[in-house]
Amino acid sequence: MNTVLDKFAQAAQRPYEHVKAWKQERGVKAVGTLPMHFPAEIIHATGALPVIVQEMPDAITSGGGAMYPFFCGYTRSIVDQVTEDQLGFLDAIMFTDHCVQLLSAADVIRISRPETTIHFHQLIASLRQPWSLESSVKTLRELVADLEEVLGVVVTEEALRHSISVFNENRRLIRDLYQMRRTGQIQLRASQMQHIVKSSMVMDKETHNALLRELIASLKTSTAPRSDTVAIYVSGHLCHAPRPEILDLIEECGATIVDDDLYTGYRYVSTDVDAGIGDPIVALATAYIRKNDNVPCPTRIDPEVDWEEWLLGAVDRCGAQGLVVLLVKFCEPHYFAYPRIKAAFERNDVPHLMIETEHDGVAMENVRTKVESFVEMIKVQRAARAVAA
Amino acid sequence: MKSHVLGIDFGSTTAKVVILDEDGNTVASCVSQKGAVSDEGVRAALRGAFEQAGINLSAVVRVVSTGYGRRMLDIADRTITEITCHARGARALVPEARLVIDIGGQDSKVIALDRNGLVARFAMNDRCAAGTGKFLEVLARAVNVELDDMGAEALKAEETVAITSMCATFAETEVISLLAEGRPKQVILAGVHQSIASRTVGLVGRVGKHDPIVMTGGVAQNIAAVHFLGKALETRLIIPTGAQIAGALGAALFALDDLRSASKVKRDDDDAVEGKLEQLLADPQRCTPACGKKETPVTFKA
Repeated sequence: MNTVLDKFAQAAQRPYEHVKAWKQERGVKAVGTLPMHFPAEIIHATGALPVIVQEMPDAITSGGGAMYPFFCGYTRSIVDQVTEDQLGFLDAIMFTDHCVQLLSAADVIRISRPETTIHFHQLIASLRQPWSLESSVKTLRELVADLEEVLGVVVTEEALRHSISVFNENRRLIRDLYQMRRTGQIQLRASQMQHIVKSSMVMDKETHNALLRELIASLKTSTAPRSDTVAIYVSGHLCHAPRPEILDLIEECGATIVDDDLYTGYRYVSTDVDAGIGDPIVALATAYIRKNDNVPCPTRIDPEVDWEEWLLGAVDRCGAQGLVVLLVKFCEPHYFAYPRIKAAFERNDVPHLMIETEHDGVAMENVRTKVESFVEMIKVQRAARAVAA
Repeated sequence: MKSHVLGIDFGSTTAKVVILDEDGNTVASCVSQKGAVSDEGVRAALRGAFEQAGINLSAVVRVVSTGYGRRMLDIADRTITEITCHARGARALVPEARLVIDIGGQDSKVIALDRNGLVARFAMNDRCAAGTGKFLEVLARAVNVELDDMGAEALKAEETVAITSMCATFAETEVISLLAEGRPKQVILAGVHQSIASRTVGLVGRVGKHDPIVMTGGVAQNIAAVHFLGKALETRLIIPTGAQIAGALGAALFALDDLRSASKVKRDDDDAVEGKLEQLLADPQRCTPACGKKETPVTFKA
């Protein structure tokens, strides 16, 4: 089991080394994508390796001169990666999300490295309009045509259907791990789960699926009750990974992270593409529209789904006793949504703690004190309720 | 011989020790300032407290540590955060407390208590030292006023001046500019305290204002900080005797809980506490017993 987990960890911790080695070994192209809703099945169907561009932990140097410090750490990091010539191994970069910070990053990349192929096809953000599906289908068809031209290939419906099937299996296997973890059958740490999901973002999906099957077969399941830790749900980090040391720290403080809606977590695997829909592009567009039902995204406009109400339900369903919000500094969509989340959790008397994260790191002792206090608070309240009952 | 428990608040700038006897009487409390998270400070506070209590090390059977350096003390049976301990200590000192404002050396915390005195929610500053004792320390140095005098000086001012509440470093630059403009020190100091109050009001806003409000921590001893914060919150803050040792008192009360919930029979490893205390206090870098600043024992019974 450790060998498989080590492979996931290596790919997650050194994603670009993994991609470069894969390219060299297989002689394939690699196409970078920016989060959050890009249907990477389309790149897979071209025969290229889809790679979600990751935030790197390095200090921001030359990229700092190209972007103001009030842009989020992920955006500044990818600009820095480009200005530091770290993304040259990608044959193109594509994205479909309208985050204003990512758009700015793309502009900086175009200006500072004009040789980089970086194309934007904007998926409609408003999900419940009568024309939302049609608009998404149109955007994805344009994306396919663009990719065909950039990579010099033809994307067949058969190839797309195969890619959808492979990606669905990947999502299902990871969701199976989530379910086993929620029920306490397996004891994977949150940072290990992050490695699993993050590695899926940069590894060949068939290879990843094979490793996942191997992992699941080797995991020892247990029906023993959880140890005396506080079950916690972690929310936030909508487009990149929180530092694994923060997840480890939360679990060192007497908590067990039982579920999450992190991008490098459950959010990434929440929604399958319906293989029963005849036209695979329509199937991908439909999954995009429906994804918000499964895990709401504050960057989408959806009057029928409130993230805060959904979060309350998610926390309850997984048996968590509290919510930890990991809020990325300068993430405007999350800043916009957080006050409503806070109000909803206070109104419903569900403990919650917000931790703001930064690319340049957080004061870990400060975070430790907050998380330990949060865990102590929940334990004391739990004990008081038990006495009262 | 009565059993005793020890609460140690190993803070970022001061160490505080409270000793309770098994009946819950406070028999000693001591504060020592020896620099950031200083072992020397803990030793000094312990020596002062033991001298005040007049007990042997062997009388101590439970130890709980709190504060920034809480995990550095292997004499502790367990560690509890300063948020939980200040809440417990403040509630013990002021039973009707519903909100605790603890402004310490590096951190400021606002803790809302429920009707039963349990922590309901809390807010804490992040990495920035604005609104903490360190903020006052930096700015006292900038205007060349002793830290202990700056509160009284600030209250002499007939007006205040706006100082940023966001960053101690920026604030220092602002203060130097104001001095260069010839603004009186008292006015600048009033602005400094108003700035701390603004910052703290922001934290209070995150958990909600609930009266009565108790202030603990070292900054509670600063009359101008209390004045401007009370004014900003439009309420009278309660400053209990022993506000600075509230965290150590809370830790000691948790240690007392542990003692009372445990068997009355002497624990197998009770001697280990004495041994570890002896070891800590025998450290060659120890300071003199008198270097701890003794607090007047807080009249308190659990």
